[in-house]
Order: sequence, then structure tokens, then C-alpha cells
Amino acid sequence: MRKLFAIIQREYLTRVKTKGFVIGTLLMPVFIVFITIAPAAFMAMKSEEPRHIALVDLTKQVYDPLSETLDERTKTGERIYQLHLVAARSDRFEEVKNNLKADINQKKIDAYLIIHQDVFETNNVEYHSTNVSNFRENSEIERAISRVVTKLRLERSGFVPDEVNHLVQSVKLNTFKIGPGGKEQKDVGLSFAITYIMVFVLYLALILYGAMTMRSIVEDKNNRVIEVIISAVKPFHLMAGKILGIGAVGLTQFFIWAAVAGFLSLYSSNLVASFLPSAGDVPLPSVSLSQLIFFVLFFILGFFFYSTLYAGIGALVNSDQEAQQLQWPVISFLIVAFLLVFYTMSNPDSNLSILFSVLPMFSPILMFMRISVHTPPTAQVAAAVIILILSVWAMIWFVARIFRIGILMYGKRPNLPEVVKWVKHG
Amino acid sequence: MNVLTLKNVSKTFGDFYAVNDLSFSIASGTMYGLLGPNGAGKTTTIRMIMDIIVPDQGEIEILGRRNSSFVRDRIGYLPEERGLYRKMRVGELLLFFSQTKGMKKADAREKIDFWLEHLDLSEWKDKKVEELSRGMQQKLQFITTVFHEPELIILDEPFTGLDPVNVNLLKEIMLELQKNGVTVILSTHLMDQVEKLCNSICLLHQGKKVLEGPLAHIKKQVGRNSIALAYEGTARFLRDARLINRFDNYGNYVEVHPAEGVDPQEILHRAVQEVTVSRFEIVEPSLNEIFIQTVQR
Repeated sequence: MRKLFAIIQREYLTRVKTKGFVIGTLLMPVFIVFITIAPAAFMAMKSEEPRHIALVDLTKQVYDPLSETLDERTKTGERIYQLHLVAARSDRFEEVKNNLKADINQKKIDAYLIIHQDVFETNNVEYHSTNVSNFRENSEIERAISRVVTKLRLERSGFVPDEVNHLVQSVKLNTFKIGPGGKEQKDVGLSFAITYIMVFVLYLALILYGAMTMRSIVEDKNNRVIEVIISAVKPFHLMAGKILGIGAVGLTQFFIWAAVAGFLSLYSSNLVASFLPSAGDVPLPSVSLSQLIFFVLFFILGFFFYSTLYAGIGALVNSDQEAQQLQWPVISFLIVAFLLVFYTMSNPDSNLSILFSVLPMFSPILMFMRISVHTPPTAQVAAAVIILILSVWAMIWFVARIFRIGILMYGKRPNLPEVVKWVKHG
Repeated sequence: MNVLTLKNVSKTFGDFYAVNDLSFSIASGTMYGLLGPNGAGKTTTIRMIMDIIVPDQGEIEILGRRNSSFVRDRIGYLPEERGLYRKMRVGELLLFFSQTKGMKKADAREKIDFWLEHLDLSEWKDKKVEELSRGMQQKLQFITTVFHEPELIILDEPFTGLDPVNVNLLKEIMLELQKNGVTVILSTHLMDQVEKLCNSICLLHQGKKVLEGPLAHIKKQVGRNSIALAYEGTARFLRDARLINRFDNYGNYVEVHPAEGVDPQEILHRAVQEVTVSRFEIVEPSLNEIFIQTVQR
């Protein structure tokens, strides 16, 4: 026991005491917030440069209302879309087009729009620009022209546009989440965000800490320290010590985050209320205790599963490069699990979701997802946990046999039949 | 009392016999040389003794016990492939190793200080291992082999990479330990080291034992004397197969091996006739010589 503890202690302390751990613990929340929010934030960022767009209006009705509707402004209050009406007759259309292209090449204008006479029947408008992949810009222009064209159509047919708008208004779906105790809570999409972040952290943790176990073993092999150690400690204890020590590093990190998050949430409602008095009645999303317990449970079990697998790979290879090549099957499990997150979120009770959420390589992520978004039957949760525990046990048995022989092998990487032989005779 | 006994131990890797039907035993307090060229099976034998790999056949008994993992903490092992955690501090590293050997912490701290002092490394205790020179790292590794006061010490090629000063220091400590009743197994392919240090040897070749027993005994039984000869002139007699089996020219002198049943005096007689002799000495066979003779037979 003293020996196992010595291994655990060393693995734990050498990692927790590094600058990398401190920086990682501080930066991870920043990183997660960044990658969940940043893409949307960047998309929403407005261009600060006005766009000069020439408008060829063959209907002779769209320009005025469009320049009124397409009224996006920069921060300084300048119009983003500056429309320039180009007089054009259908018979000299090609000539006009060539002139406009020349204008774009000379950078006199950024783009040009052609609204054909038959736009009310065909719905087609041409937009020519050097850059047509700015979705925000495209959709703003499209929406504005649609509004104008629809309004004109309604007027032509004798309707009053404002009345019609009122009549075709869509309804608003207010969502309420029913918790395990039957408690209802108004949900503003934040609980989804929290769940998503937790799943993402789980996914990252399994990959990062699993790979850390592997690298730790490869490092010991490269250092040649491994023979010194296993002359004193049983190989199984070395493997177990590494897995437990590194798992403890992961848990330490989670507890630091949880403590900080808990501390912040104590004060956050006051904070929010003082800044936004109107937001006072919107309940902040909270992470329930059961969700936290399942998070830790699935991290521990998932970590045992994946880090044992990674330990086996570490024992088989001689360098980080070789390890990279061999770890793709493991990583692909985790990637498949992560790809299925959205499907599971939308269809938590489909047969496919149930099946995948009890398979041991996916359950740490997918069953946790299902538990978070909605409460699956207890039998399914129990099945997932039991299957995972049994798989971890089998995995440890299997990998321990490879580990014992693999860690002393240098040089040629063993092939699959050799590994099978080790398992049989180990 | 025998500290270690091997009975008919074999180990194969695929079709290759790494160790083939090996038996020997080592009495307590012996400095025992495990010899052989590279690939003879020395390291495999040691790994089986350390229970790192399991023999296919045969039995190994250490300190009177069959299960060697049980007596692990009473053995000190310096593997040929050396390694330390380079990022750890010297003191921390030693404390970690002491824990893997099952030592109590207070006891370990005392022993660590003693050995660091003994090997002149005290001032490096709080430095990182990677800051130490290679020789110092070797000494550090040696401490991890002996600081838990083992009854049996196994050293696999302990002198590689050491400068002459540290080689001497290590030899002194080995002899000191032996004097205190510790049994030492020295595995090496450097015959001259063994010749100076060991009481008994076991010579391995291609996984098999070819010679075993007390060194003096072996020398008397197996070896044939050779002649160290230095001269000026053209020595045609060295090519005479009736007289001389073989000779090795070392530059300063020639080592001459007389043919079967030839009296060295006869060679001296011929030599004086042909060249000017400046040295003629009858030498005991070196272990190296015995090894070459035995293997070539």
C-alpha cells in the first residue's frame, strides 16, 4: 500500500506543482467561455466600413423604400449600406452591367444589386460582389428586400400591410424545465448552455487526462526509469498509481472550478440585480447537486475507462509520435460521443440515444447529457453505470497483462497477434 | 547459507533461448561475477531473479524463499538501463524511491543524508536531477540501489559511463558492503573488473553456463599459462605451429600461447636464438583468455 501510495503521490504532486497546472486551471474557464461565445460574438460583430452598393432598380419602385428599410448603422451612426441608384434601361442592360463590374474593379463601389422587373413573380434578385460569403450581410440585404417586395405586393393586391403584419404574427414559445421533483423552472436557454459547457469539459477532461496517463508511461519508458521502478513495485501498482494520481489531478481541478463557481453564484444574483433591475425575476440557471454528482461519477468512471486504454497504448509504444498514431481509435470514440451530443439533446429518448448512452465508450458523455437535459428511467442510468464499471474492470484486467510485458519492450512495436499472445499468457 | 539458488532455469523469447537450463547458487557474503559477452543472457537472468520476467521453467530461491516478490525490498538492483526522474529534486527523488522500497519515512531521511554525504552529493540535495552531471547521476542511481540496506545487491554493468575516480569509489563501496556481509552480484562483460573483485564467477555464453565456481579454482583448472614477450628483431618462431598455438600482438609486447605440451623454456630457447629478448614472463591466464578459450572450444 505504501508503494502504491508513493506512486500516486509522485504522479499527483509533480503535476499539481507545475506552472502548467496553475495556468491550465485559470485559463480553462476562459477558454471554454471563449469557444462557446466567441464564434457567435464574432458573427454578430458589425462591419465598421460602409459598403457602397449600386442598385439597378428595373421596377423603379424598390429604391426608396429599400433605402429606408436597409438602415443598419455603424457605431458612429453612419449608414453601413450606402445605396447608389443607377439609371438603367432593359435594352442597354449588358452595357450597364459591364460598367458596374469596371466600377467594382476600380473600387468605386463594393457590390451591385439588380432587381428585375419581374421580381414580384419570380422572387429573384441578383447580388454581385467580390465577397458573397458574409452571411450576415447577405441575410440583412435579403431580409430588407423581401420586406419591401412583400409590402409592395400586398399594396398591389389591395391589403393594408400593417394590418396583415399584425395578423400573421408568430407565437412565442416559452420553455419550462420540469425537474426530478416535479418543480418547474422558467428556462431561458441558459440551462442548456450550462449543460453544454459541462459536457464539453467532461469531453476535454477525458481526452486530456487520458492522454496524460499515456504520456506519463511513455516518458518513464524513455527515461529508462521504468525498470528501476518495477524492480521495487509490481507493474500493476505502477499502472494503478499513475491512473489514480492523474485522476486526482483532474478532480482537484474540477473542485477548484466548482468552488469558484459556487462562490460566484452566491453573489451573482445580487450582482445581476444591481446592474439589471429588470432581470431580477429571471432565475439564474443553477447546477443541481445531482447533476454535479453525476458529473463527478461519470468523470471518474470514464477516466478509468479511457486512461486504462491509454495506459495500454503507452506501454506498447516507444515515443510520443508512435503514441499519436496508435491513439486515434481511442480519440475517435470520444469524437463520436461528442458528435452524438446534439442528437441526444434533441432526441434523448430515441432508441439510438438509449443504445449509445449505455455503451461504455460513449456513456460517460452521452448518459450524462441525457441526465442533464431530461430525466431518463433509473434502469437505464443504472445499466449505463453498471456496464461502465464492468467494462473498466475488464479493461484493467486486459491492459494489466499488456502493460507488464509492454513496458519492458524497446525497439520494434509489437503487432496485434503478439499483443493477443501476451494477454493469453500473461 | 545460500543467498540465491537457481535450479534449471530457462527462458525463451519466441524460438530464441535467452537462458537455457541455468543452475547456480551463491553463498552469503560472496562477490559473484555474472559474466558473458553481450547477448549471453545476463540481463534476462537478473530480470528473472528480480521477478520482472517469469522463467518458463525452473526455480529461483532468494534468501530461502520461493516467491521473490516477497523479498524484493531486501534486494538492491541497479539495472543496466538506468533512469531517474530528471525534473525531480535529488532529495525528493530519493524519498520517492525509498517509499517504493517500503522504507519508513524517518528512517529513509536519515539514510538519504548518510549516503549523499558518503558519495559527496550533499550539496546537490535540493537541486534538480537534470542539473547533475552524468557521473553524479550514476552515483545517485547507486544510492537508490543500496540505501535500504539490502542483503543482496545486483549490479548490472555498474561501471559504464563512470570516470576512473568514480569507478574506484564504487569498487571501494562494493568491497565495504561485502565486508559487512552483503552479497553482491556483479554482471559485466568487462573481465578485468571481475578478475580484481570477484570470489566466484559464472560464465554465460548463448544462454548457457560454460564455467562456474571460485575464480582461483577455475584459473587453475581451465586456464593455461601464457607468455608475455618483448623483443627486437624478426621473430619467425612465432609462426611455428608445433611450438606456438597463437599469439596476440599488443604493441609493447606479444602475448604468446604455447601449443599443447610445449614447455615455455623451449620457446625461450628459440627466442634467444632469433631475436633480442627484453622481457620474458610467464603469466597466469586472464579471465578474458579463459573465456575465449572456453567459448572457442
